[in-house]
Amino acid sequence: MSNVLNWQLGREMEYPYEAAYPDQQFAFIFNINRCIGCQTCTMACKSTWTFSKGQEYMWWNNVETKPYGGYPHHWDVRTLDLLEQANPGGQNWGGKAEDIKAPYGKFHGKTVFEAAKTFIGPQGANRALGYLPTDDEWSAPNRYEDHPVGNEKGVKGGYFKGGELLPEHKTWFFYLARICNHCSYPACLAACPRNAIYKRPEDGIVLVDQERCRGYRKCMEACPYKKTYYRGTTRTTEKCIGCFPRVEGKDQAGHGLPMQTRCMSSCIGHIRLQGLVGLNPDGTWKEDRYNPLYYLIHIAKVALPLYPQFGTEPNGYYIPPRWVSRPYLRQMFGPGVDDAIERYAAPDRELLAVLQLFGKDQRICDRYEIKEGPKVFETEVRGKKFVLYNDTIIGYAKDGTKIIETTVEEPLHIRPDKHANSI
Amino acid sequence: MELRYDEDFVEAAAFLCTSGRRKGVSTLQIARFHRERERLYSILDPDDRNTAFFRLHLEWFREWGLEEVLTGLVKEFPLLTRMLSVLVVRKTRGKNDDGAELYVNEARQRSAIVALPPDFFERDVTLRNYLRHEFTHLSDMLRPDFGYLPTLDLPGLNSAQQRLARERYRLIWDITIDGRLSAAGHVPMATCEQHRAAFFRGYSFWPEARRTDTFDALWQNGSPAHAQFLALIADPRGLRESHGPAPGASCPLCGFPTFAWVSDGAVTTEIARTIAAQFPDWTTEQSLCTRCLETYETLAGVVVH
Repeated sequence: MSNVLNWQLGREMEYPYEAAYPDQQFAFIFNINRCIGCQTCTMACKSTWTFSKGQEYMWWNNVETKPYGGYPHHWDVRTLDLLEQANPGGQNWGGKAEDIKAPYGKFHGKTVFEAAKTFIGPQGANRALGYLPTDDEWSAPNRYEDHPVGNEKGVKGGYFKGGELLPEHKTWFFYLARICNHCSYPACLAACPRNAIYKRPEDGIVLVDQERCRGYRKCMEACPYKKTYYRGTTRTTEKCIGCFPRVEGKDQAGHGLPMQTRCMSSCIGHIRLQGLVGLNPDGTWKEDRYNPLYYLIHIAKVALPLYPQFGTEPNGYYIPPRWVSRPYLRQMFGPGVDDAIERYAAPDRELLAVLQLFGKDQRICDRYEIKEGPKVFETEVRGKKFVLYNDTIIGYAKDGTKIIETTVEEPLHIRPDKHANSI
Repeated sequence: MELRYDEDFVEAAAFLCTSGRRKGVSTLQIARFHRERERLYSILDPDDRNTAFFRLHLEWFREWGLEEVLTGLVKEFPLLTRMLSVLVVRKTRGKNDDGAELYVNEARQRSAIVALPPDFFERDVTLRNYLRHEFTHLSDMLRPDFGYLPTLDLPGLNSAQQRLARERYRLIWDITIDGRLSAAGHVPMATCEQHRAAFFRGYSFWPEARRTDTFDALWQNGSPAHAQFLALIADPRGLRESHGPAPGASCPLCGFPTFAWVSDGAVTTEIARTIAAQFPDWTTEQSLCTRCLETYETLAGVVVH
């Protein structure tokens, strides 16, 4: 074990390998508030990568209904339970949010790597605490679809009063879209006895070398997000490849420019934004003020990692759903949830403009610029002043090509009376 | 009789042995298994590779004595070896997927499939108990004096009642199987008391003395028959003779069995008129279930509180 800095936990942690970071890291943000669970992303991925024999149960991208749903079933509850058993009552956060090395304070509990040392299975100690899901846990990718949790029983012939009021709805569910998080400290990589899993030095995408994999399924056991899948026909493990040919700019549709993955590009709700971020020698993010990912995660702090306490430093971030029970969200996204929701619910001028970049173009936006526009109106959102300006946001690709230009207010086109059916 | 295995089953069982969960598997053997297995990845043709994997897994399945456990148990059931042409062992796909099924083809050849969780190889005792239960199940289906029929001939029952009848059939059959295994000195899948409790729950509408007598007769029944089971499952409440709102009887409107009959006075004249428009022969004495009442309240435009 070596010590590596996990900035999401605000501390160093133990990891089976020495720290090694790519030049750039593949990262993405999902705005859960906008996800309608349509599964377009799921099918875009499926029809691109996992449509062959033996891949029937592979859903590299899936959208599940929380709190009950999950693929495999109860993947998060089971790992949280294992961690709790390994460190009863100790999985807590503390301290103050500080700089880029501890934006959510400090995690005092144990990660899957640290807990593994004291959890000895029948085969001895593992490199990461985990479990291998059974066949039936993979049987239904969208189990408990739209099942809400509620703190009041329904009454015949009526609705309970105030159930829709914020800050927390009394009855709630939300859709959690998931792909591989291309973690900075992947548990799958750590667990592989064949060294068949690696992070690409150019973009940090985590891949399984199909020539080396021998189907031990240790990666499936170790990945706390359960995002590696065994293929019975080849007897190897496969996983999300971050659509790397697109990220490399090799998809013809991008005309040589790096493109976002298929799942990001196909999202009809415009909930997704994916890109690449630069890294410092210690693995923290290089300051890049006008990179939209850097801005949303480190400046506006509205997007948070999924289960950071697992310790793999996932590179998937989520804008948490603002209507959901806060203790549940704190468990899922860490202690930054309350501030993130507060900021998202009444966004400032820059945040509102940057949020317009989601889903506007398939190419990766490397930098943005805002041109100020006129004030449209002002109001109060839960006691906080909110002013809407019709600013224009412009997005640029890595090479400086302008790829997006849009306004905060949705453009309105009034159809002329002359041609009733024309635009 | 030929014993065949599903590929997934043999592979999962072999991997269980390498996981350290089955006793008597040496680390040297595990290392050899993986070495031999790794070599097969160099076979390029997917079908050839698949066949090679199956062969290897089957070799180790035999090497680790797993097949021996199965064949040893099959020998305890001569009816199976005599009357079946093939017995296939497959892996269960989920928690409720275990069990045994009998198939007969056009040439009247019989084959059977037993679904088995590979985890049972962790402890041979569990495996043996489970297989004895399932093999007795199959033997019953093959025994001419049992008179097994693949479908339950229960005319006049709706789909919900048929499902309930099948559940009762399964309950009773399991009781007689475990009763016989217990009498033969084997460990049953569930104890007499567990079965008794399940039977008492399933037949809670009977007086206790009748439940006790029937259960004891089933547990001690050395040679049960399909016809005996049918007599116990078809109409145990005697509801076919009942034309009123008895608990568990069918609602005259929707036909579903119900325990929630409407209380006296709940059916207003307006609602009764709405029901009569669709069911002219219906009378208030026949009553209706609360679900139907809700429907006809709505149709009649009665405000629901």
